[in-house]
Amino acid sequence: MFANAPALTPEISADAERPGLETLLQHPAIWRGRSAAQVSVVPSGFPALDQALPGGGWPCAGLIEILVSHIGVGELNVLLPALATLTRRDGERWCAWVAPPFEPFAPALSAHGVMLDRLFVVRTEQPLWAFEQSLISGACEAVLAWAPRAPSRDIRRLQLAAEKGRALGVLFRPLAVARESSNAVLRVIVEPTEQGARITLLKSRGGHRGSVDLAWSHYPTQGRVMPSQPKRSDSRTGSL
Amino acid sequence: MSSRPIRTGRVRPEVSRLRAKVSPSLAPPPPPQQALAFEPRELWVGLHLPWLEIEALQQTAGKTPRAIVELQGQTQYVVAACERAQRFGVRRGMGMAAALALVPDLETCARDATRERQLLERLATRAYRFTPRVSLVPPDGLVLEVKGSLHLFGGAEGLCRALESDCFEAGVKPIVSLAPSPLAALAGARAGKSLLITDATHLVGEISALKLFTLRWPAEVIERLRQVGVYTVGQVLRLPRAGFARRFGREHLAELDRLTGRDADLRDHFRLRERFRRKKDLLQELEHHESILSALTSLLEELGEFLKVRQCGVTQIACLLKHRRIPRTRCVLRFAAPAANARHFAKLFAEKLSTLNLSEPVRGIELRSGDLVPCTAADASLWQPGEYGGETRGVALEIIEHLRARLGHESVYGLRVLESHRPETSWAVAELGGRASKGRVVENHVPWFVQRRPAWLLREPQPLSQRKGLPRHHGELRFLEGPDRVEAGMAVQGRVSRDYYIVRDSRGVRLWIFRDLKPPREAASAATSAWFLQGILG
Repeated sequence: MFANAPALTPEISADAERPGLETLLQHPAIWRGRSAAQVSVVPSGFPALDQALPGGGWPCAGLIEILVSHIGVGELNVLLPALATLTRRDGERWCAWVAPPFEPFAPALSAHGVMLDRLFVVRTEQPLWAFEQSLISGACEAVLAWAPRAPSRDIRRLQLAAEKGRALGVLFRPLAVARESSNAVLRVIVEPTEQGARITLLKSRGGHRGSVDLAWSHYPTQGRVMPSQPKRSDSRTGSL
Repeated sequence: MSSRPIRTGRVRPEVSRLRAKVSPSLAPPPPPQQALAFEPRELWVGLHLPWLEIEALQQTAGKTPRAIVELQGQTQYVVAACERAQRFGVRRGMGMAAALALVPDLETCARDATRERQLLERLATRAYRFTPRVSLVPPDGLVLEVKGSLHLFGGAEGLCRALESDCFEAGVKPIVSLAPSPLAALAGARAGKSLLITDATHLVGEISALKLFTLRWPAEVIERLRQVGVYTVGQVLRLPRAGFARRFGREHLAELDRLTGRDADLRDHFRLRERFRRKKDLLQELEHHESILSALTSLLEELGEFLKVRQCGVTQIACLLKHRRIPRTRCVLRFAAPAANARHFAKLFAEKLSTLNLSEPVRGIELRSGDLVPCTAADASLWQPGEYGGETRGVALEIIEHLRARLGHESVYGLRVLESHRPETSWAVAELGGRASKGRVVENHVPWFVQRRPAWLLREPQPLSQRKGLPRHHGELRFLEGPDRVEAGMAVQGRVSRDYYIVRDSRGVRLWIFRDLKPPREAASAATSAWFLQGILG
């Protein structure tokens, strides 16, 4: 009986149905596994990383978590090219840094191509509140936040806020929370290596898992650098 | 008695005879310009507010019926009653005892002249929407010259309807009349008629039926006119001018001339206040932020209205909360760009109040605006911000104000680059907001600079411990790159001479450290440590 069914269906209706189905499947809310993940992305600036990330870059709307053992293992270097792209987009949206652990060094950010007049820093004891408000406002292209403690129900709220405000939310968390579950679209571990950093995808909605090694392009030559003796320090060497 | 030379029975024939004899000089003929020009030069709207006394009190409404009483002689009389009380039969001029018999729970109160004045000024401010020539006629009237703006509101009738509904919004029921002279318009409104006289030649004819009380002359004058059989404006106009002036006073003749448009009516225009300042006493003491906010909302709406008619915005609002014993709590909002939206204000105050710790309940609120800044309302976008490329610039500042309202003004800041070789002085906090400042951008992407400057900077360089002359930080450091020599500084700031290195600590974090190469004479007095941590490459 089932074998007959296609034959009974007029050809014409089957043809008419197909475009409708295709359009339906294009809808971003429909997830069909990794093959058809349709998300708008921003290129990370590292081709190797782009290949591993679902859709070919960081998602433009959604929360991602970057887990690091210490501040400064290379997590900003990974993110800065994307931030440079985002702050140069039309639409005049902000890039917010919520509760950063140190001062962002303006000349270096500017040299990376980040537009400083689209950037603001928030100093607060309640990073999650400011993070959520910035995400949900719709006025931010990207929001970076440093919050050591973030309960998982808050992560879910943040993820929804990021989707609603169509913003890229980046939450930096300690490596210890890698075992906790999380609602973020993407969870990534950044570890330092000799030449650059290793990115491990812990969770990626519609993407691969695995690691990518990145090398910082202008890394110094192999020759060992040692501090030279200061030229005018003759009188001081005794005190060192 | 010289005041009553004419016996009542003979008044009318005598008047008409006099008029017939010397008519050119007595009955005011229309001025020649007006007779020729079909349209009057000015058109005035008169606004009479018959229930102003009660409406001024009603602004802080309760639900009980209310009446305003005044002591006249020995008895207290009702001067005004609210709608609810009127439904029970309380009328103007009734004794208080009679009113209380009708409505036992009638709330009686005295007139509040200050509030009436405030309400009148508020209406005048709203009326600026229609024309800049607004004059107050205290205690209960307004006149507006509207000739120039008729076409904007669909003619005389449309303008009057718009004005009425504007007053309804402010909680006031007006009577609106339109006439070529302000006194005529007011007289019409006081008579309870909505006159619409747009033709100067019809003016006298239309107002001649109005009763004399509409002119608000002294009671004694009206009484004397009544005794000679003159009851209406038309009858007064028919009296001989010379005799009228002699018997009833020159000023009243002049007023009649202004009434008919024969003389120009010069009036002081109402001037808008330059800052907003409004107090509100609360009926009960408030403790909760929500209730304080809801009490504040009406003031904020007034402020929004105040700004709207001026096409101005404010960059600062102060809210003073009055307590019983302790000094007033001051709560200040500052905006990144001139703002004029009451809802936006309320949202920010909600954040601000939620961070406020009040040690005593609030008894009164005062709202003060800062200086007004011209600010034209921007076009709003059809889409939500971020949606389908919706406009976001306005919202972009809102989020900053929103964060600042809760976290404090200094907690949200931008960054900018300064011309300096010393890392700690090569950046500064930038003021956010205003129009997008097209700042200087380091366009040339210098690879060595990108890689050799850290993303993180420590506010203060942190001295590093040393072993065998080499710095340590979480164990031994591996030198990756260097040195970069930085020599800079004026004598004022102190010269710097530093060798920068990029090192890597045992945890894999790349650090930006420097060795201080102070000139020898300073080194003698300097601290022992020569190595400092200044940044993290990130």
